[in-house]
Formats: sequence, C-alpha cells, structure tokens
Amino acid sequence: MAMIIERKELNLWERLYLPEILRGLWLTSRHFFVNMFFHTAHLFGLFKRHRAAVTTQWPEELRPLAARFRSRHRLTTREEGTPRCVGCMLCETVCPAKCITIVAGEHPDPNVEKYPVRFDIDLGVCVYCGYCVEVCPEDAIRMDTNILDVSAYSRDQMKLDIHELMNPTLRKPVPECDLKFPHKCALHDGKLTGSWERVYGPGEKLSRPADQGTELAAR
Amino acid sequence: MPKLTIDGKTVEVGAGKTVIQAAEQAGCFVPRYCYHPGLSIAGNCRICLVAVEGQKKLQIACNTQVSDGMVVHTQGEPVEQGRAEVLEFLLANHPLDCPVCDQSGECDLQNFYMAYGRYDPRFAEQKVRKPKAVPLGPTVMLDAERCILCSRCVRFTDEVSRTQEFGIFNRGDRAEVGIYPGKTLSNPYAGNVVDICPVGALTDRDFRFKARVWYLSSSPSVCPGCSKGCNIDIHYTLDRPHLDDGARVMRLKPRVNPEVNQWWMCDEGRYAYKAIDRCRILKPRHRGRALGWETAVLELAGQLARIEPKQREESVAVIAGTNLTTEALYLAARLFGEGLQIRNCSAELPVLPGSHDELLIQADKNPNRKGAELLGLAGEKARPAEPWIQAALDGKIKSLWVIGEDLAARFGEETVKQLAEKLELFVYQGSHENGTAAQAHWVLPSAVYAEQAGTFVNCDGRVQALTKAFEPLGESRPDWLILTALLTRLELPAPGNEPAKIFEALAAAHAPFAGMTYERLGLQGLPARLDGAGGLGGPAAGAAAKAERK
Amino acid sequence: MIWEIGIPFALSGAILFFVLNLGGLHTWIERKQSAIMQDRIGANRASILGVRLFGLFHPLADAIKMFVKEDFIPPQADKLLHTLAPFLSVFFSLVAFAAIPYGDRLVIGGRVIELQAANLNVALLYIFAMLSLGVYGVILAGFSSHNNYALLGGIRAAAQMVSYEITLGIAIIGTVMIYGTLDLQQMVRAQGGLLFGFLPAWGVFLQPVGFLVFTAAALAETKRVPFDLPEGESEIIGYFVEYSGMKFGMFFMTDFIETIMVAALATTLFFGGWQVPYLTPDGFQFPWGAFVPVAAIPYALLTVASFTVKVLAFCWLFMVIRWTLPRFRYDQLMRLGWRILFPISVANVLITGAVLAWR
Repeated sequence: MAMIIERKELNLWERLYLPEILRGLWLTSRHFFVNMFFHTAHLFGLFKRHRAAVTTQWPEELRPLAARFRSRHRLTTREEGTPRCVGCMLCETVCPAKCITIVAGEHPDPNVEKYPVRFDIDLGVCVYCGYCVEVCPEDAIRMDTNILDVSAYSRDQMKLDIHELMNPTLRKPVPECDLKFPHKCALHDGKLTGSWERVYGPGEKLSRPADQGTELAAR
Repeated sequence: MPKLTIDGKTVEVGAGKTVIQAAEQAGCFVPRYCYHPGLSIAGNCRICLVAVEGQKKLQIACNTQVSDGMVVHTQGEPVEQGRAEVLEFLLANHPLDCPVCDQSGECDLQNFYMAYGRYDPRFAEQKVRKPKAVPLGPTVMLDAERCILCSRCVRFTDEVSRTQEFGIFNRGDRAEVGIYPGKTLSNPYAGNVVDICPVGALTDRDFRFKARVWYLSSSPSVCPGCSKGCNIDIHYTLDRPHLDDGARVMRLKPRVNPEVNQWWMCDEGRYAYKAIDRCRILKPRHRGRALGWETAVLELAGQLARIEPKQREESVAVIAGTNLTTEALYLAARLFGEGLQIRNCSAELPVLPGSHDELLIQADKNPNRKGAELLGLAGEKARPAEPWIQAALDGKIKSLWVIGEDLAARFGEETVKQLAEKLELFVYQGSHENGTAAQAHWVLPSAVYAEQAGTFVNCDGRVQALTKAFEPLGESRPDWLILTALLTRLELPAPGNEPAKIFEALAAAHAPFAGMTYERLGLQGLPARLDGAGGLGGPAAGAAAKAERK
Repeated sequence: MIWEIGIPFALSGAILFFVLNLGGLHTWIERKQSAIMQDRIGANRASILGVRLFGLFHPLADAIKMFVKEDFIPPQADKLLHTLAPFLSVFFSLVAFAAIPYGDRLVIGGRVIELQAANLNVALLYIFAMLSLGVYGVILAGFSSHNNYALLGGIRAAAQMVSYEITLGIAIIGTVMIYGTLDLQQMVRAQGGLLFGFLPAWGVFLQPVGFLVFTAAALAETKRVPFDLPEGESEIIGYFVEYSGMKFGMFFMTDFIETIMVAALATTLFFGGWQVPYLTPDGFQFPWGAFVPVAAIPYALLTVASFTVKVLAFCWLFMVIRWTLPRFRYDQLMRLGWRILFPISVANVLITGAVLAWR
C-alpha cells in the first residue's frame, strides 16, 4: 500500500533559513562542548563513569552481542570428538547462497551411519542467514562463535574446511590436522586422512552386524 | 465387462481386475506399499484402503476384485482416517532416520505421511531395534528397522529373478526382512529390489550417500548395455561437482515400458553409467597432438577428397560400430557409401559371445545392431568387415575409418598397432580412450548416448528414442554432428543439423522407419516395419499408440 | 641590506609556516572535531612507539601516505596541465596570505616593521585577484583529466566560484566604504576605536549584513560542505577524481588553506584583525577608566595572538558548519547565490552609501 506523506509547509521563521541554521549549529556545537568537557575531564581522571563517546575501541574492547546474533559457523562435536553432523545435506540444500559443500561417507556405527567426509563453508559467499542452523536436524551446526572478524587476503582463504569449523579457535593458516576420523583434508591436498580406528580403537565397534557383504563390496 | 463407479467416474474394466487397477484406469491414485503391478498381490500393507458402498468396513483396493455396479470412494473422511491409522502402525517402529536415509525425498512413507498421516503421534513406547546397515550383497544394503514388511523384495526374488534370496523372519513386531543364511543377494537383477522398496530399507550401495535425490535431474533414455534396449531414466546433477568426484551421472533407474523391460533392468546396465564421465576422449588429436575441430574436419575432408575415385573401390574401408545411433549409422552410409562411393562401408562384424538370460539380458552387447541391419549396414546383405583387417595388414586397404568400434578389443592390441603402421590414414571416431584410440592416427571424440538425441533399434525391432541429458564432455561431439560437418565440408547434401531432421530423412529413405518421427516415437518407442508387418500400420503400432495415449 | 631582504623573508616565512602547519593540522581538526560533535572519538590509532597523542600523528601518516602513493596520470590526459593544476591551486591560495596583516607594527632598533608579508595599499584587491585565479587550478584539473565526471565537476566549480565571487566582492564594498581604504593594515587600525564608548568598532558591528553575506559567499569559495558540489567525493564526483598521491593532497590542502584564508579575511575585515579590545599601543584602556600599561614587544605579541585566536575561532566555526549542514542541490546553490545573497549585498551597499551620505 502506498503511503502519501504530506510535506509540511515551511513557515516564515523556517524560510528565513538563518535561524534554523543557527539552531542546527547550536545542536552540534553543544554536543561538541559537552563531549569536549568530558574528554578533558577524563584526562584528569574526573567523571570517568560518564562516557563522552559511543565508540567501542575494537579489538581491545569487544562489543556485547545479542544472544541470537549470527556469527561465524562451527560444527558441534560428539563426546569422542567427531562431528555431530550426519551429512544429511539439508543445510547444503537450504543454503540460499550455495556456500556449503558436503561429501558424505559411511560411519562405522550403523546407528549413526553417515558423516561428513568433507564439510566446507565459503564465507566469501555466505550471507549469514542462519538457515543452515535452523534446518539442521542434529544441532550439528551453530553460529555462536561470536567471531566477526572474518577477513582474508584471498578468496581461497575465505573457505573454511572441517578443521576450522570444528575448532573455532583455529585461524588460517591451519597449522596441522589433528582430526582422527577419516575426512578429505585440505591440508593434505584434499586426500582422505584419519581413520575410525583412531577414534574407536581397533575392534568390534568397527564391524557391522552380519557383515557378510564387505568382501563383496570390495568388488 | 464389469462397470463400476470410482469417485463419481464410471469405468469399464476387464473381469478379474482389482479395484486399484480400475482406480488407476479412472485416474484416481490410491496409495500403495505392497502392491506392485509387476508382482503378485500380497495385501499386507493395508494402506490402499478404499470405501466400497455396501461394505461396512474399508476394503483394500489391491486385492478386491471389481464387480459390476460397484461404487468406490478413494477419498473422503473414513478412507483418509483409515489410512492415517494404518500409517500410525507402520510408523510405530520406523526410525526417524530421514536425515541419513538415502530414500528420503523419494520415499512413499514420507509422501503418504505428508498426505494422510496424523501429525500427533501417540506411540510413546520404545521402538524395536533391528540390524542396521547390513550389506546383503555387492549392490544392496539393508536397514531392517526401516522396513515396513511389504514383502515386495521377497516376491521379486521369488517371481521375477527366481533366485529366492529374501524371506521374512520372526513374528509380530520382531518380524524382519532378510536373506536366507549362506546366501548373498548377487543375482543379476538385484538392484531392482532397491527400486521397488517403497521405503529406505533397501538402498543402493553404489548410490549410497553420494547425493540427495532432490539434487538429481532426470532425463529419459535407453540403456546401451545390450541389444534389449531397456528404457531408463538418467539421474544426473550438473551444479554440484563435489559429489562423486565430479561425475555428472549419479545413477540409472529403469523406466516402465511394458513392451521392453516392464519395470526392471539388470545390474550390469544399471552400473554401466560410470563410463559416461570416466576415461573419455576430450579433444580431437592427430598423432597425439591436440587440435581444434575446424582444423580436424578440414584436414580429414581434404584427405578424403584427395583419394582417387578408382582407389575408393579398393583401398578405403569404413567400419561403423553397432553401438552408434541409427542417425549416425545413416549419416555414415550417406557420407562414405553414397557420397564418396566407398564400397567397403559396413557395420557387419560377428557378435561377440556374451552372457544372456531369458528375462532381459541379451548376448549381443551392442544396442543398435538391428538398426544397422535395417539400414543395410549389417546382416546378410552387408559386406562383412572382418576381412578388411587382413586386407589392411596386407597393404590392399590404405585408409581405414573406424566409428565407435574398438578394434583392439576384437583383434588385439598388436594387430591394431600393425594396422597403424601399415595404413596411410587411420581414423578412430569414438567416445572413450581404448587400444584403438591409442594407435589411430586421427582421434575424433564423440559423445556418449546420454549426451545426444538419437534412436536405437532393439533386438525385437523396436525403435526407441534417446534424449539429450546434458552437453557432451570436453570438446567431444555427437557422431551425427561430426559426420554432418564432414558432409558439409565435402559439399555433399546433409539432411539437417539436428537429429530430428536426420531421422526424418532416414525414415523417408528406409521403409522400416516409414512415417516415424521423434514425436511419434515418444517415450515408449515404436516397432519397426519388418517385412511388411509392424510399423505404423501394424497392430503392434496401434497398441503402442494406445499405450502412448494412456 | 641584510635587513631589507631578511625582514620580508622572515615575515612571509612566518605566515607561510603558520598557514601550512595549520592546514596540515586541519586534517586532524576535521577528524577530531567531527568525531566529538558526533559522540565519537575519532582517529587515534597512528602511534609512534606506542605514543598516540590524540591522533596527532595522523597528519604525519597522511603526508607519508600521500608521498608514497602511486602518482597516476590518466593515459589520455593532458600531462602538463594535469600536473600544473594542483600547483596553481595551492600557489594562488598561499600567495594571497601575503597581504594579510597579522599584527600591529613592531619597532625594533628604530626600524618599523609592519607585521604583514607585503604592505600593499590595494591589499584587498590583491587578495581577491589571487582567490579568483584559484579557479584556474580547479578548471584545469577537471579539463585535463580526460574524464567526463572530472570535467563536469570542474564546470560546476567554475560556475559556483564565479557566481559567489561577485557576491563576495559586493559584500565587502560596504566595509570598504566605511573605512575608505583598500589597505588592510589601515582597515584594521580603523577598527581600533570604540562605538558608544564600550563596543570595539569592529566591522561586524558596523556591517552585520555584510558579514553574514561575506561568510556565506566565502564558504562557497572554499568549496567545502555545504557548498562542496565541485568535489562531492561521496556521490557526485568532482574535478579531482583522477588525482592521487600528493597531487590530490595539494587540492586537499588548498581547501584547508582557503578555509584559513577566509577565516583570516573575516577576522581582518569584520573582527578587528589583530586588534585586542581596549588595547592601545600604550596599554589597556578600559571603558570604566582603568589603565594597564603594556610594553612594546608584549603588545606586538598580544596583537599576533589575538589574530591567531580569532582565525582559529573562525576555523572552528567553519568546521562546525561543515559538519552540520547538508550539501545544497545545484539549483538551490544558484538560487541562494543569485537571488538571495546577491540582492542583499547590493542592498547593503546602497543602504551603507545612503547612511554615509546622510551623515
């Protein structure tokens, strides 16, 4: 619906222009003098509780963020340190910017079944809409790291892979891969590294019930 | 013939039909899990409940025989409430696996729940645990928890593949589907149980976790794996190159064609799609040096034109493969046979021995031998091509043009190597890197069946159309386009620059294809006019046209 | 001999030192003052060994940046004019200061030194001539850049400066009529008296309308907000769009120097120049009869300080105006110039003349 806003006719006083300019100048110079007074007082250690400026001195001083603020993504983990993500690709599907890349693999635990071999988010493309968090059936992706300073010197560096998503404290360049489960590791040329044995140890957990088909699968 | 009313529509169906078939004829969809038109009727899933006037209780549509004057309702309160209650039971033990389940997106349990389910479940008890992710064989994975015991897979292995691997074990809520001890599900049609499984209990190990089904686009085509020409849908994705290492085709699914493959296809054909994206020839090349199409066509046309008309009789041979589309074969005949007057142009090579059975699999692994026969390039009327190899080795034949036929697989790598040394001109036009491509002087990359429109004629003489699913890989081009370019360059009449026009010209020139166009072929194909029978005028065509109308 | 060369050299050196430093400092004032007006802190990150000094190193950092940046000349630009333009701009704005008196005469060892770089009897005319020539820098910059935006910016600048120069000239005619001289030093001296026995006889009290018109027109001459149509760096793009490095810096400096020029002119013409209220060459003579004697050297220093304080106050005022008012639209600019300021200034001249004749 279109709204028509009536423009108020200026009265003579306003049309004289000069008084209105002086009014504006009075407003801004009042701010100047009040702030200047407090800035000067602060130099002498007075009126410290009264702020003279709204400026937040980032990065020394961090701005308080709302609880539902959407910051850089992270992948939540299970107790044993593997991602909660089951690679259902719903976030990849819902992503309006198409910045998520997932390749799924077979998890040794048949009750989990699926996990992400590769999980990349291209922050250069991401629009921070939070749909991925909204859609995730496993609470595996969250945007609660409070990391705002996402910046890089190249487009490639804007791409987060599973290392940085699982460990938000990591910053590029990622020093080395400490993930134990098999994943397509960007640090090793996208080759598959890690093994489930390093998570569960060698033994029963790796075998499936009635696993008569594995040798056939190797065909 | 009994007449009955379904949702206000009156239909007349054959005696002995069931209500679900009558409803289908009337255009009313009745949900189903255990009912499959290609299998016997089990009637155990109970989802197909319909209200029949005069009957106090709801009836299952799949196993209620039609009778004259029957009045059936497939919609409405009692029916939908009945379905909701059936779904509640089916879902009592069904796990919430949808995020990890490959079936989600094409799952009838999801679909019907969306349509008929009750959204406030009352089942609060512990679900029964059953084996999950059990490999049944090389191609199929079982998740017994997801199974709703419709027994379609059991009936398939009993009735269609006749291998009897599946059974339902235990009773009550512990009942689970499985294969008999000591057996593995390794019959040549095993993949079909994945297609018929209405839920995610049986999933394809090859497709498993590769992609989500909603990423896939579908394009109807014909399987080139053998001369049966099973109808298939190519499921592919072009915008997600990270899936399956950049492959475009994710899987093949059989497409229903009552005249050819019904609902089924063999595993060999089902998994043959991998070749589409692997080991392809991507650029034209001359003795190992890559060059552009313009140059290649110009050079080759020049070389063909320079051969003396007298020599064309004796010293030039063209071998076309029976895996080419009919259009390509027709153009090859026009270019080399009619146009350049080369006598030695044929697709007639002996059929290599191959596995076969009564159901679908044919011994001849080439999809279009019948087409070549109808065009006179193969069969008794055609000149056998096999002796030309020896003639070339003897130096009688100096130029050899091979389209789509891997000579190395047939005559051995060594022979092809000697051929390359002896011949003055040795052209291989094909889609994949192989022994012949490695030795030929000229290599022209051609597109595979999924990348072009065209037709195949199957072993029963049925002309079936391929559709183009996506663009050819790299710089490869469909054979018809390569041959058309040569025709144009040699200033010979070309029938047109699209397959539909080429097919029209072909249909006008060859009696078995008379009157056919791509539009008339449709998705189900038409039988070729063999010895006056069949074709558009024959009874089979009438049946096909009827099927098309349906 | 040494005195005859040395004294003018020292005098002009002093004013150049003052103006250039104040110009450089203006970049800091602009940032800090706007920040404080807007409840911010302003640039304060440039530091030397951790010493930040309220961001006073930012002008220094700016200067280093300007000198180190690539000096880009558009490939099809007129190289000579493109290079010449900023020099013209900054040159004319600087030489105008020669005629500004910044203190009363100083008598050292029998020599009378007027605290003014060049003691001209047509100082006002000279300053106006220099300010008018400044427009060449702007036009040449726009013309030589081989850029339509730059050219349009230059044309806008020319139109604006020519329009407002007329008003500017007429606005001060009243002052000239009252004091009867074009010599600024004499004009300042004439403002030394008292009106009604207590009010300093400054131009602003005799010519209030002339002062307002002069201020508005002079601001327009400096090409700063709200009259920044020639530049409009954020959206309409101005004449120096194709300049970078120190050449851009020179245009930037010109703006600030012109601001100081206008502040100095307003001080001289309307606020008694170096005059300190009630201060005579002998000492303070207050209206209630008290007298405080002041020696010759402190007196000269007091006059210089007075001039400096007044100029700084004007700089502050112009900065407040710059950070308060939004930019005019082009039609508004022209209407204000031709249909409001120009008639007012003419009326001011007529009324002043009538009053003078009647008296």
